[in-house]
Amino acid sequence: MGFAAIYVPEFMVQAVVRAESRAEPGLRERAIALIDGNAPPLFSVVAANARALATGIFLGMTKANAAQFVGVEIRARSVAAEKAAHAALRDVGWSVSPRMEETAADLVILDIAGLSSLLGPEETIAELLVARAGECGLRVNVAIAENISAAEIAARGFAGITLIAAGEEASRIGELPVTVLSPPEEIAETLALWGIKTCAALARLPVPQLSERLGQAGVQLRTLARGAASRALVVAETELVFEEEMELDDAVEELEPLSFVLGRLLDQLCARLTARALAASLLRVRFDLQPAFENALDVRTEVVRAKNMPGIYERVMQLPVPMRDAKLLLKLLRLRLQGSPPGAPIVKVLVAAEASRPRITQRGLFLPSFPDVEKLELTLARLAGVVGEGNVGSAEVVDTHRPGEFRMGKFLPVQEEAKDSPRKKAAKKRSSEIVEKHLPNHSAAMSFRVFRPPLPIHVNSREGRPAEVFVQGRRSEVCKASGPWRTSGEWWREEQWNEDEWDLEVRFVDKSRKAQTQSPCAGTFQTAKHLQQKGVPTNGAQTEKFEEEFRRYRIYFDAVRQGWFARGMYD
Amino acid sequence: MYCELHARSAFSFLEGASIPEDLIAVCAEHGMPSMALLDRDGVYGSARFHLAGVKAGVKAHIGAEVTAEEANAEKGVSGWRYALLVKSRTGYQNLCRLITRMKLRSAKGKGSVRPQEVAELSEGLICLTGGEEGALAHALESGGISAAIKRVTELCELFGRRNVYVEVQRHFCRKEEARNAAAVEIARKLQLPLLATNGVRHARPEQRQILDVFTCLRHHRVLANAGRLLSRNGENRVKSPQEMLQLFRDLPEAIAHTQELSARLQFTLNDLGYKFPEYPVAKGQTQMSFLRERAHEGMLWRYGADDEKARQQLQRELALIEKLDLPGYFLIVWDIVRFCREKNILVQGRGSAANSAVCYALGITAVDPVKMDLLFERFLSDKRDDWPDIDLDLPSGDQRERAIQYVYERYGKLGAAMTANVITYRGKSAAREIGKVLSFDTETLARLSSLVGAWEYRDANDSLERQFRDAGFDLKQPRIRKFFELCQAVQDLPRHLGQHSGGMVICQGQLDSIVPVEPATMPGRVVVQWDKEDCADMKIVKVDLLGLGMMAVLEDSIEMIRRDYGEQVDLGKLPGDDEMVYQTLQKADTVGMFQIESRAQMSCLPRLHPTCFYDIVVQVAIIRPGPIVGKMVHPYLRRRQGKEKAECLHPSLEKVLARTLGVPLFQEQLLRIAMIAAGFSGSEAEELRRAFGFKRSVKRMKEVEEKLRAGMAKNGIHGETQDRIVQSITSFALYGFPESHAASFALIAYASAYLKCHYLAAFTAAMLNNQPMGFYSPATLVKDAHRHGQRFKPIDVMRSHWECLLEKLPEGFSVRLGLRYVKGLRAETGQEIARQRGIRQFTSIAELKRRVPGIQKSELTALAAVGALNFISAERSFHRRDALWQVERAARAAGPLLEGMDEAVAEAIAEPIEKPQQKIKLEENTPIKIEAESMAAPVGTVAVGNGASPLLQMTAEERLVADFLGTGMTVGPHPLAYHRAALRAAGVRSAVELPKLPDGMRVRVAGAVIARQRPGTAKGFVFLSLEDETGIANAIITPQLFEKDHTVVVHHPYLLLEGRLQNQENTTSVKVERIESLTVTQAETGSHDFH
Repeated sequence: MGFAAIYVPEFMVQAVVRAESRAEPGLRERAIALIDGNAPPLFSVVAANARALATGIFLGMTKANAAQFVGVEIRARSVAAEKAAHAALRDVGWSVSPRMEETAADLVILDIAGLSSLLGPEETIAELLVARAGECGLRVNVAIAENISAAEIAARGFAGITLIAAGEEASRIGELPVTVLSPPEEIAETLALWGIKTCAALARLPVPQLSERLGQAGVQLRTLARGAASRALVVAETELVFEEEMELDDAVEELEPLSFVLGRLLDQLCARLTARALAASLLRVRFDLQPAFENALDVRTEVVRAKNMPGIYERVMQLPVPMRDAKLLLKLLRLRLQGSPPGAPIVKVLVAAEASRPRITQRGLFLPSFPDVEKLELTLARLAGVVGEGNVGSAEVVDTHRPGEFRMGKFLPVQEEAKDSPRKKAAKKRSSEIVEKHLPNHSAAMSFRVFRPPLPIHVNSREGRPAEVFVQGRRSEVCKASGPWRTSGEWWREEQWNEDEWDLEVRFVDKSRKAQTQSPCAGTFQTAKHLQQKGVPTNGAQTEKFEEEFRRYRIYFDAVRQGWFARGMYD
Repeated sequence: MYCELHARSAFSFLEGASIPEDLIAVCAEHGMPSMALLDRDGVYGSARFHLAGVKAGVKAHIGAEVTAEEANAEKGVSGWRYALLVKSRTGYQNLCRLITRMKLRSAKGKGSVRPQEVAELSEGLICLTGGEEGALAHALESGGISAAIKRVTELCELFGRRNVYVEVQRHFCRKEEARNAAAVEIARKLQLPLLATNGVRHARPEQRQILDVFTCLRHHRVLANAGRLLSRNGENRVKSPQEMLQLFRDLPEAIAHTQELSARLQFTLNDLGYKFPEYPVAKGQTQMSFLRERAHEGMLWRYGADDEKARQQLQRELALIEKLDLPGYFLIVWDIVRFCREKNILVQGRGSAANSAVCYALGITAVDPVKMDLLFERFLSDKRDDWPDIDLDLPSGDQRERAIQYVYERYGKLGAAMTANVITYRGKSAAREIGKVLSFDTETLARLSSLVGAWEYRDANDSLERQFRDAGFDLKQPRIRKFFELCQAVQDLPRHLGQHSGGMVICQGQLDSIVPVEPATMPGRVVVQWDKEDCADMKIVKVDLLGLGMMAVLEDSIEMIRRDYGEQVDLGKLPGDDEMVYQTLQKADTVGMFQIESRAQMSCLPRLHPTCFYDIVVQVAIIRPGPIVGKMVHPYLRRRQGKEKAECLHPSLEKVLARTLGVPLFQEQLLRIAMIAAGFSGSEAEELRRAFGFKRSVKRMKEVEEKLRAGMAKNGIHGETQDRIVQSITSFALYGFPESHAASFALIAYASAYLKCHYLAAFTAAMLNNQPMGFYSPATLVKDAHRHGQRFKPIDVMRSHWECLLEKLPEGFSVRLGLRYVKGLRAETGQEIARQRGIRQFTSIAELKRRVPGIQKSELTALAAVGALNFISAERSFHRRDALWQVERAARAAGPLLEGMDEAVAEAIAEPIEKPQQKIKLEENTPIKIEAESMAAPVGTVAVGNGASPLLQMTAEERLVADFLGTGMTVGPHPLAYHRAALRAAGVRSAVELPKLPDGMRVRVAGAVIARQRPGTAKGFVFLSLEDETGIANAIITPQLFEKDHTVVVHHPYLLLEGRLQNQENTTSVKVERIESLTVTQAETGSHDFH
């Protein structure tokens, strides 16, 4: 016999049990239901073991309902545990035969032809596989047969070890329900209507009539039911996973030595990418950090274990175009790490790349030259290193009533726009027109200088209107006020706002410090003499001692923060 | 003093956030003397606004914002509206016509008026330049000040210079202030008055959130991405005159003009000018003389010539009808009834009209009010200022539509219309839409909406909080909390306008001058902008043409009896004392009977023990939330059984309550109690009745109660007696029946009982043809009929029609199930099968496929699975699997090579197959016996040619599963019948045994759950009806047990219950102590839940 199938029944449940069984021995023997969902309200049962199903739990049941079943353990589904369980299953397979097919997450098939001389008879091989799986925390069914399909079906259908001698496939598989063949939904429905419940019943149907009714899919299914299907093993290939990992003998604390390590890993990674004619569109680095050193002595196991757990530092770098220049990638990575260094010495480094096709572009002969995308990215990364992430890019106006609101978008070179389709261009034009429409009129003589962040000020009001304003310690009187311009919104969030905005013309009256030190951003500069001419009363004794300065501000009262702020100044 | 002259309510559908009553209430709080409501393209809220205004002493001006140019976001067109106020009745009529014209030519929610229409219909209207969506803002935006001047000048030309006001609004917005500056400039330049308004969109500041939610719904956005579509701030609320004065202190004239303009707006909805149409009579006759003639004819027909009492009553009524000038109304209803009779459409008046001898004589109603001594004043009284109300019950479906279309034809498209039905935000719809706006994902929304309102009853632990918790929601989370609050805030706000199921309003002349008319979704129908209540409030006469499933059943039954039995049944002449009917009712054997079939009715019937028609009237009225909450059921039953003395609430009420043994059961009695005990006048009593049925206001009922108590105190009725009387009356808020109405329903109930007792086959077939209706599923109806000896024939393409029909057999009639019961079979396919078969019988499935080319594979499979193709071959009958085998081949095009190849040939060339191990028994030409099969697997069959298949015949269990899956029922034995021996061995009693067992005995019962109820009046108790092959057993589950075994009770289709038998007064039920699920079959039997 040539093939052994290893199947993990109740795979999802077993994966979780495997991960938790050390902490909770005996878990395997209990009724377990796994829940999953996007958010707490949506949690529902996605898998359950036979014991749980026997209590009345069914798949799709809400968590709240499932919780009402006494004696059923509710656990969250764990994709990571499933990955680990699958990896373990692969290891079990590979431990016996290098020719292995990863048929499904819960099933692998091995080519065991010729292994008898090495490992003993089939039964011994099967027992070995079950034992190894047990060591890895998995309870498996193993079936050995002459052909792949028979082995696969038998592993899915029979518990424990099944050995099917050549020629006995049809009779052995015949006992199994037809569902083990995983028929397509439509055929499954037809078979159910026909009362075809077992593989034997399906195998008995005459081929021409079956072909007339269910087509070749039906005939193929019948062949499977007879255990007569044959196919070639699809030997598992390594995935297109580009990961390079290095454990460091001595923890690295500084960027320079780390750069060497990263450089080496990136060189290898880029070489592999090049060999496959691919490039990295995303780069991920992960450092295992040394646990913090603790002086305090705490011998409680869980505390020690928690403290000994290595920290993880992870950064993901989305690249603007696929790249495989190791030097450039290293520079980008360095800049990124400079901006936000890991907080502890590094003991293990992993660099992973997400691969995609490299960029192939040809620049127009007569088009103006644009900065090279890679270099531009480098520049932006440098800037981000200086000013912080999220503070570099193109400012975009946000569709909101909230004054001064904007967000930083990705900086896009002009040449990218040139590639836009006419429809996209028209859409962009429309949106820019909309923005224009809502921006202050550019033809106005006055421009507005925004304070970012807004300047806290103090305001004294009279009859509900600002009368006195203190800006940066200077007192001013309000000459003219226009407002309030009231906006509020986002009441459904915790970050709601509520502001009363005023446009003010204020007059600062300071003791003379030589009026010629006029503020560079001052609007109108008038002396007391001018005011006297306008009939504004002045104190005669101080006339020549005071300088007057008129400015126009936009201030607002923030009702949420309960404070006054200056949003900006009119130039 | 400032008056708000530009407000929108939630009747602007998603453009306003408060109901009209709220606007008026805030207006009154601020001491504002008047307010104008200008909803978008309609006067939907005007009636409620007007009434609320009258009550609060606020003058309610009417107007509307009428679309001049539609906004189109895709084309970047902003659109604008005329803001119109009604000055006079002509103005109101013009506004209604303007809106009607626009609506009738446009899709729902769309359309705009044309300038020439405005020019033609501008008289009596005042135009404001509007706010953000007004004429001025639009012109300024598109063409600056010159365009704005031009637009305002145009308005002056259209409406007259004196009738245009330049509107200014202030919501603390820069852009608006710039517009105001332009408005002031234009007003001064054109010498037009300025008018301050606040463009109100919600009454109170907090309702801004609802407005934002509505905005999102209107634009199909979520709050997170609605951006500047949302309101800038919460300033569009109703502001006090002081606030407005302060806001416009620089423009005092704009404030002053509001009061001036308000004074100019003389029109109110009191001045509607509605007239009911006149019935055309021959020259020399008046409507009254014509009515007298018809009534006299009718009296002779109904009572004969010698009934003096009837004659006197008729004369009294006719005199009152003449005094109130109502002959036209009676003649018009008579005309509709006459039309129905001519067209053989079953019709019967109900409601208070049944109190009238004139209605009885005219054939409008079928209850004799003279014999039953019904209160005519409940129907018509000279003290009442509203119109009488006549409801006509018609068979649901096409027949009712014919009657409605007759009314349209007779009075013209603008002479008659359906009343609207305002669809409001309720539990589920509110939860779904608000969840959407708050960006909850679809799955969460589905879960949420499934949570809301599942059970009618909610105990203390069954609060919304608990339901949220059950679904994994945490109300402490701000987002969930906000969702919850908004759901509550949005409750009962109008969502959109639907069409009332049967209410029609008719008008002399043009209905569109009374209220705007819109096209309904259903082609050929128009609907007014007011709902039933509004129409009644505005004193518009309406006739309800209601569809009643049972009327259709009666009509169909009578037709089948005529056709198949060769007998004529006249519902008007049924013997009123049929012994069989009363015996059946006394046994509560009433499955399928109108109004008396529910579980509660059944438990009451043996105790009430009806022996005459009036008992059925009481029976219909007594099992209603009103009498139940008012605790009137048990006293009545005890008194009836002589276990309690028939004492009256108060000696003065003896005469009123004598007929119902001192217990008030009918609305009329309560009105009379109010009149006698509290000194209410006829109209006050009527006001009381309206308050009961007035779902909108708990407050209104409270006011009435206070008045009642004061009146009773004055008449010396105090203390407990007063409380009991008040409780009796107020409990009718939860729907008590008027006696006349109960009598009309009792007639139908009696007719249905009569037909079921004497013509079971016809009645059952008619019931099956008019599903869904009533309390029980078709499966239960079939099983019930079975137990009464009715035979059924399965669905068969060689015999079945689309409908269920009767087949005459030597031993009587059997019901042949119709193709309509094959799930997934389209009506057109089913009808085509019957038509083709009428031409020539089918000989094979392939031929059927060929002759009915539209048939889909899924339909053929469905037919085969339920055994409908078993007899298609003339040579032999198939079993279902043979048919399924053939269907798969017939459904696939075989291709030219194999097209003609016979199955046997195909087999011959097939590879040899291993024979099954089982012993083979051939079943050729053996029809399948449905009724006498065991659940054991049949012996196998194998392909031997002659169209057979290599498939095994279905077992009885498989057939059961296929029957329920494919038709929702089985005509074979009840699923439990197969297990009776085992059940008996386990000590389980059948339903038929229970009444014979002693009270208090511990019993076990088992069955399919056919109804689960947790009524609002039952304090958390759950009532189950379990069906087995012998009948229906009732069970009661305590709230505690339900709490414990919730999942089993709710989810399992078959239950085994154990508990104490309550066998009292011929009523049997099991008080459950232990619940177990029972595995009987995989068949999916349905249950009627959560009533």
